[in-house]
Amino acid sequence: MSEPPIDLVASFMDDYFAESEEHLASVRRSLLVLEPYIDGGDLPSSTVEELFRSFHSLKGISAMVELRAAERLAHEMETCLGAIRDRRVVLTSPAYDALVEGTNLLDHVVAARRTGDAIPAIEQQIARMSSAFAAAAADLRLASGVKAAGARPETRWKVTFTPSPELVARGVKVDTVRSRLSDIGRIESVSPSVTAGGGIAFDFVVAAPDDKALRALSGDGIVFELMPADPAGSIGDMSALAPRAIDAAPVEANFVRVDLSRLDDLMRLVGDLVVSRARLEAGLLRVERFLPSAEWRRLQQEAESIERQLRDLREGVMRVRLVPVAKIFRRMPFVVRDLARDSDKRVQLETFGQATEIDKFLIERMMDPILHLVRNAVSHGIETPEERAAAGKRPEGTIRLTASTIGESVTLEITDDGRGMDAAAIARRGRAAGIDMPPGELDPRALLDVICAPGFSTRDEADRVSGRGVGMSVVRETVHELGGTLHVDTAVGRGTTFRAVLPLTLAITDALIVHVGDRTFAVPQSAVREVAEVDTQALRAIENNELMTHRGAAVPVIRLSQLFALNAAPLSRMHVLVIGTGQAAVGILVDRISGQREIVVKTLRDPLVKVAGVSGATELGDGRLVLILDVGGLTRSLRHRGPRIREAV
Amino acid sequence: MRPYILFSVAGTTYGVKSDLVRHMEMIEQVTSVPNAPGFIEGVVYSRGQVVPVLNLRVRFGFERVARDLRARLLVVDVGGRLLGLLADDAREFVSIPETSIRPPSEAIGGITGNYIDGVATLGDRIVLILNLDHVVDAIPTVAA
Amino acid sequence: MHTILIVDDSPTIRRMVRGSLATLPDTTFVEAVSGLQAIEALAVGPVRMVILDLNMPDMHGLDVLRFVRSHSHYRDVPVLVLTTRGDAASRDAVMQAGASSYMTKPFVPAALASAVSDLLAAARTPSTPAPSSRT
Repeated sequence: MSEPPIDLVASFMDDYFAESEEHLASVRRSLLVLEPYIDGGDLPSSTVEELFRSFHSLKGISAMVELRAAERLAHEMETCLGAIRDRRVVLTSPAYDALVEGTNLLDHVVAARRTGDAIPAIEQQIARMSSAFAAAAADLRLASGVKAAGARPETRWKVTFTPSPELVARGVKVDTVRSRLSDIGRIESVSPSVTAGGGIAFDFVVAAPDDKALRALSGDGIVFELMPADPAGSIGDMSALAPRAIDAAPVEANFVRVDLSRLDDLMRLVGDLVVSRARLEAGLLRVERFLPSAEWRRLQQEAESIERQLRDLREGVMRVRLVPVAKIFRRMPFVVRDLARDSDKRVQLETFGQATEIDKFLIERMMDPILHLVRNAVSHGIETPEERAAAGKRPEGTIRLTASTIGESVTLEITDDGRGMDAAAIARRGRAAGIDMPPGELDPRALLDVICAPGFSTRDEADRVSGRGVGMSVVRETVHELGGTLHVDTAVGRGTTFRAVLPLTLAITDALIVHVGDRTFAVPQSAVREVAEVDTQALRAIENNELMTHRGAAVPVIRLSQLFALNAAPLSRMHVLVIGTGQAAVGILVDRISGQREIVVKTLRDPLVKVAGVSGATELGDGRLVLILDVGGLTRSLRHRGPRIREAV
Repeated sequence: MRPYILFSVAGTTYGVKSDLVRHMEMIEQVTSVPNAPGFIEGVVYSRGQVVPVLNLRVRFGFERVARDLRARLLVVDVGGRLLGLLADDAREFVSIPETSIRPPSEAIGGITGNYIDGVATLGDRIVLILNLDHVVDAIPTVAA
Repeated sequence: MHTILIVDDSPTIRRMVRGSLATLPDTTFVEAVSGLQAIEALAVGPVRMVILDLNMPDMHGLDVLRFVRSHSHYRDVPVLVLTTRGDAASRDAVMQAGASSYMTKPFVPAALASAVSDLLAAARTPSTPAPSSRT
C-alpha cells in the first residue's frame, strides 16, 4: 500500500451528517405515530422496530465518526426502545417525553459537531431516561402489547423469484420484485433457498385475493403456486426472519441524494458559461463587419438561443436547491406540545402547504425565526383553557402554519386564535422602554416596528428560548436580510397572524473577501481567474503603471488603494487578483485575501451611489455592509491600455 | 393638519411629512462609497436593505462634524427610492396645520433655499419644510 | 480483478469501508443494503469476498451467513463480519455461524484493510455464479 492512510472521519463527516439527519427525521415521524398510544393501546410493532433500528444505526455511525456523546445517547435510547419492544416497559407519558427530549438532545449534539460548538452534556438526560423507564416497568398483567402482524385466513401464494445476471441487467432485482408484490398483496415472508440445480432463489409468501395480478407478473424469473390454507392461521416457516416490517417499499425510490457542494459546483459552471457567452457576444460584435449580414444574423440568433437556454439552465439548477417547507414544519408538533404542556394550555397545530418548496438557504435561515414565532404564539398568544372558555372560545387553541407560493415569492404564515395584541398596551410598553414611535394609535406597520425594536423584548420572551438570542428583532432582521418582508395582522380577543413574504430565489454568489488598509471588499469569484502573492519590490514601473511578472508574461497591475483613494500602509508582500487572460490580463493588488464566502448580493441601484467599480453590497454577518466590486468596470480602462504598456516593456 | 417629523441640522429645525419617513434609527456603521458625491456619507444596512446615506450638513453647505449619540438617520421613501438622511438629531412628531406654512421668502437664500418648500411657524419656532425631491436629486442643485 | 461485496444498511459505513479498502490492488466493489440484496449479489456474482454487517432490516446478517455457508457453491467465500458487539458470546456466535473473520465497529481503516488482504491471500479459488435453474 503506497498511499498515505486516509483520515476516514474527516472525509465522511458529510455522509454522517446527511445520514443522521435522515434517521432523526424517521425517529420524529415514528414518535408522532406512537403518541396516541401513551398509557394504553397496543403499540404498532413496525413503528417500534423502526425506532429501535434508527437508534441502533445512529449508534453505529456515531461510533464510526468518534462522536462519543451521540453514540452513548443513541445507545441509551436503543436500550429503552428494546425494553419497549420486549414489553418490559409500558409507554408512559414520562417515558415518551424522555424519548422526545433524548431525540432533541441527540440532534443538538450532532449539530454542535457540525458547527464546531461545544458538545452539550448528556449525563443528565441519560439519568432522566433511565429513571423514567425504570418507573415504567411493566406489570405483566397490564402491559400494553406490541401488536404483531396477525395472520388472517386469506389466500396465500408462494412466489419464487430466481435472479440472474440478465434479469439484473434489465432492472429486475429482488427489491423490485418485492415492491411489485407488495403492491399486489401483503408479503408475509421472504426467504432465500437453494434451487434444485444448485442455484439461488427467493421464496415469497404473499397474501392476495386472487392470482390475476400474479399471473401478470410471472415470467421475468417469477413463478407462483397456491399454498394450502393452514387452519391454525399460523404463518409458515419464519426461521429466517424475525417479525419485522418486510413490505416497506425500498427507500431509494425516485430521489437522488445530492451533496450541496456539487450543486454549488454546477452553479459555478453555469456562471462560467454565462461569462463565456458574454465573450462570444462581444466577439460576434467584432466580426460583424467581416461577415455577410445573413450569415451574421444566423450566428446572432444562435447566440440568443444560447442565452435563453442558459437562463433556463440557471433556473433549473436553482430549483434543485429547493426543499419542501415540511422540513421546518416537521419540528413544530414537538415544540407546541412541550410548551403547551408546560403552561397548562391545550393547543392544536395545523399545517398547510408542507409540499411548498423554498431554497435550502432560506430554510436554514428561517428555521429559528419560525420556531420563535410559534413559541410566541403558544406562550403569549393562546390563552389558558379557562380564559378561553370565559371568552366563549373552544378550550383548545389552534395554531396554523401555512406555506404558499405566488409568482416569485413564497409566503409563510403563523396564525393563532388567541388573545391578539393590544396596540395601546404595546405602545405604552414601548414608550416606557424609550422606543421612538409616532403619536396616537399604532397601525399594523408601526406595531410591528415597536415589537421588533431591540429594546422591547421582555424577560419572559426569553424564557423558553434556547439561549441563542432569537427575539422579534432578529426575526425581522433575518426576513429582511433574505430580501423579504414581515407583516402582522392582529385583533384583540381574536388572534394574531405573522406573515413573512420571501423571494423564491436569492441572488447568491461566491466571493473572495479582500482587504485594503482597514477596508473590506467582496470580489465575485467568477470574475477572478487566479490569485497569487506578489513581492512589491519585484514590481516594475513604466510611465504611470506598474507591472508584475506572471506566468512568464508582464501583466499590468493596479492598486485598489489607488483606485479608491484609500489610506493603506505600504506592504512588501501583497495579494493580486488576476482578471482576464492572456493579452487582456490585469491584476488588482490588495493587502490580503482573507477567504471565500457565499454572499447574498444586494445591488446598489440608487443613482447617488452608482459609482464605477462598485456593483453592490453585501452584509457579512456582523451588520456591516461590504461593497462588492465590479472588477470588469475597474479594470476596463486599464485593459485597453494593457497591450500598449506591454509593448513598451 | 398633517403630521411632520422634526429634526435639526446645524442649529436649524427642519420638518418632513411623517408618511414619507419609513423609520428612524440611530446610526452606527456607515460604509463609505469611493468616488461618490461629497454629501454621500456612504451606505448602511438597514432592515435588510442597502440604504444610501446623505449627510444633510454637507448637503446644506455646512462643514462635516463628528457624529454623536444624538445623530439620527431618517429613512425616507422618495418616489420609490429608499434613502437615509443624516441629521444632528430628530425627536419630535408634531402636527402642522397647512395654514401655518408659508412659501420661502427671498431672505432664505444660499444653498438651503433650494431645498425648502416652505416655512412654518410653531409658536416662536421656525421650521423649514424640506422638499425631499430636491434634496435627493442626483444632479446637485447649484447654489443660488 | 477481485469483487468485494460490502453489505451494510448505512451508506456512511459502506463508504467508509470502501474508503478503507481503496488502496487494495485490482479490487472492485459491489454494495448491498439488505440481506436479500446481498444474497442476490452473490447469485449474480462473481464475488471474491464479503464484508457483512449483522443488523439489517429484512434479514439478520447471521442468517445470511448461515445460508451462504449452507450452499455448496459459496461455502468457501471469505466473509468478514463487521459488528457493534464485541463481547465473547457474540464473537462465538458469529464464528460458529461460519464467519472467516470478525471485526468490531468502529474499526481502524488500516486494520480492516489488513484483515481483508490476509483473507484474500488465504482464500482458494474465487466463487463464480452458481448455475441458475431455468424453468
